[in-house]
Amino acid sequence: MTQPARHAAMLSISNSGSNLAAAAEKQQPAQHLHTQSQSSQGLRVPSNRKTIYDRHLNRSRNAELSRASFAFLFAEMVTYAQRRVTGIQDLEKRLNEQGYPLGLRLLDLLFYRTMSSSTSSSLSSSSTSASPPNRPLRILPLLHLIHGPLWRLLFNRPADALEHSVSPETPNEYMITDNDPLVNTYISVPKEMSMLNCAAFVAGIIEGVCDGCGFEAKVTAHNQPTEMWPGRTIFLLRFGESVMEREKVLERAGVK
Amino acid sequence: MSYYFTILSPTDVPLFNIAFGTSKSGGDGIARFRFPDTAQYMNQFIIHSSLDVVEEAQWMNGNMYLKHIDTYPPASAYISAFLTPSGARFLLLHQPPQLPTNNVSSATAGSGSILGSSFSGSGGSSSRASASSVAANPTSPQTEEAVRQFMTEVYENYVKTVMSPFYRQGMEIKSSVFRGKVTAAGRKWL
Amino acid sequence: MSSATKASRIGEELWKTRVDKVNAELVTLTYGTIVAQLCQDYDGNYQDVNKQLEKMGYNIGMRLIEDFLAKSNVGRCANFRETADMIAKVGFRIFLNIAPTVTNWTSDNNQFSLVFDENPLADFVELPDDGRAQDELWFSNILCGVLRGALEMVQMQIEAHFVSDVLRGDDTTEMRVSLVRYIEDEMPPDEE
Repeated sequence: MTQPARHAAMLSISNSGSNLAAAAEKQQPAQHLHTQSQSSQGLRVPSNRKTIYDRHLNRSRNAELSRASFAFLFAEMVTYAQRRVTGIQDLEKRLNEQGYPLGLRLLDLLFYRTMSSSTSSSLSSSSTSASPPNRPLRILPLLHLIHGPLWRLLFNRPADALEHSVSPETPNEYMITDNDPLVNTYISVPKEMSMLNCAAFVAGIIEGVCDGCGFEAKVTAHNQPTEMWPGRTIFLLRFGESVMEREKVLERAGVK
Repeated sequence: MSYYFTILSPTDVPLFNIAFGTSKSGGDGIARFRFPDTAQYMNQFIIHSSLDVVEEAQWMNGNMYLKHIDTYPPASAYISAFLTPSGARFLLLHQPPQLPTNNVSSATAGSGSILGSSFSGSGGSSSRASASSVAANPTSPQTEEAVRQFMTEVYENYVKTVMSPFYRQGMEIKSSVFRGKVTAAGRKWL
Repeated sequence: MSSATKASRIGEELWKTRVDKVNAELVTLTYGTIVAQLCQDYDGNYQDVNKQLEKMGYNIGMRLIEDFLAKSNVGRCANFRETADMIAKVGFRIFLNIAPTVTNWTSDNNQFSLVFDENPLADFVELPDDGRAQDELWFSNILCGVLRGALEMVQMQIEAHFVSDVLRGDDTTEMRVSLVRYIEDEMPPDEE
């Protein structure tokens, strides 16, 4: 959990730890931000001075667009990615990587929205202990965050199932099921690529959410069709060793 | 009160920082750190030396706003922290104006404070004048609340920054508009 | 009733009744990742990014027109002015839930502008502050390709390009659309 020697790395202060304050005076911190970066021209703005900072984050919260538009865009994204890779695995990796930064963004957006709605609804009781959302500290609350709020933000409904691996060999594996993933609805995969699951994009989003919260994980999407749900997809989350160890420590400390 | 606010990436890369002074109680919003020549380095140093405390608190407490989590007695500095769910840390150093004489020679003491003991350093400040005002007392409930409001407002603008598809995690935030928003939040709450 | 008003009504009716919907932000964010990815792949060569976006749009347009015709069930437009209203008030309404303004016609009725008051593709977006993106990148350029692809499938060769974008600091977002020629013999271009 702790990373020793981080101060030295961050400030590039010499490791003569005896009088750190003196060392700090002598040496320039490497990553000290220069205020000169301000003096660059910066971005132009329209004459009404509107920027991204003037747009309310909840403005498009309940907005809708055509499902076909999403399908067309997504299909084009897959086709484009396909031209730059050598095989299915490579393609899935690329889709995953494109989803990842989206996961980080959605995480912040999700918390902002929960915060803003919790403070606006309980403004009168805005003591310090008003109820802004908690960052997930354990795997289970993280999974619930993905299964519920994240899925609702993306797809307007929760995911269909959340399971823990039953094998004692793989206690670090969890599965989130979507019976009918939107990303597969309009995408017809060529026969020679029948193993491809474009939900790798969504797997990347999940991975971004996990990583953002400090739960290093690998997330993959797998086809698990049933008679009723031909597009059924299982997202397999495999948490890293360090995460599992922290789980044990937090468990003992009574952190939920 | 003088403030130094910084945003660190999950890997501790500084993404943004700004110094300002209190605007409450007739303050002019200008930072007056006690050792102006070295203030910038000292502030960064103090903030970074509080990161172990932040990291420990991060996994014991799921709140985004962790209130004031560390003190650095040699500089009479207090650190408040706000953690975004995606791993960025907002750290605010506050240093009350120099009222009593303070002892510079003990510069190395207290730098290694851990979560439990860090609060002990705040005892001395309560004796200062107008203990309840945001401008004077870094540990009063009023200050904690004001800092929370400040952090929340900065967070809103931070989310707007990271929502842009061209923003990548760990990129320095250079927008002058963002800087203006943080300055405005400081003026409004602190 | 003007052709524009009529088209607006058709568009709004279709949006309400015939269009399957998804969360708008999913579309916005997905498009954002596409453009950001292209900028990365083309190493900041924004001209190439514009071209690639246009090409992607063209592919989409060729397929999207079927969906459009099936949903809208509208007949052939009598002239290019009617086509413009159909694009702005029905097409954009169905696919992006917006209706840009049709304006700035040339006297030969072969060129017009679409002015966008809102553009869901560009929500949340701030262009890179690298001193070039605001001069070179047309963030929503995919839309030019969509128009070209879709209209080609109904026998119109057009050319479309953005002339301004609020993301670049302009006061408006405006696309210029020009009719090059009708592809079919039975619909010869107007001769002046």
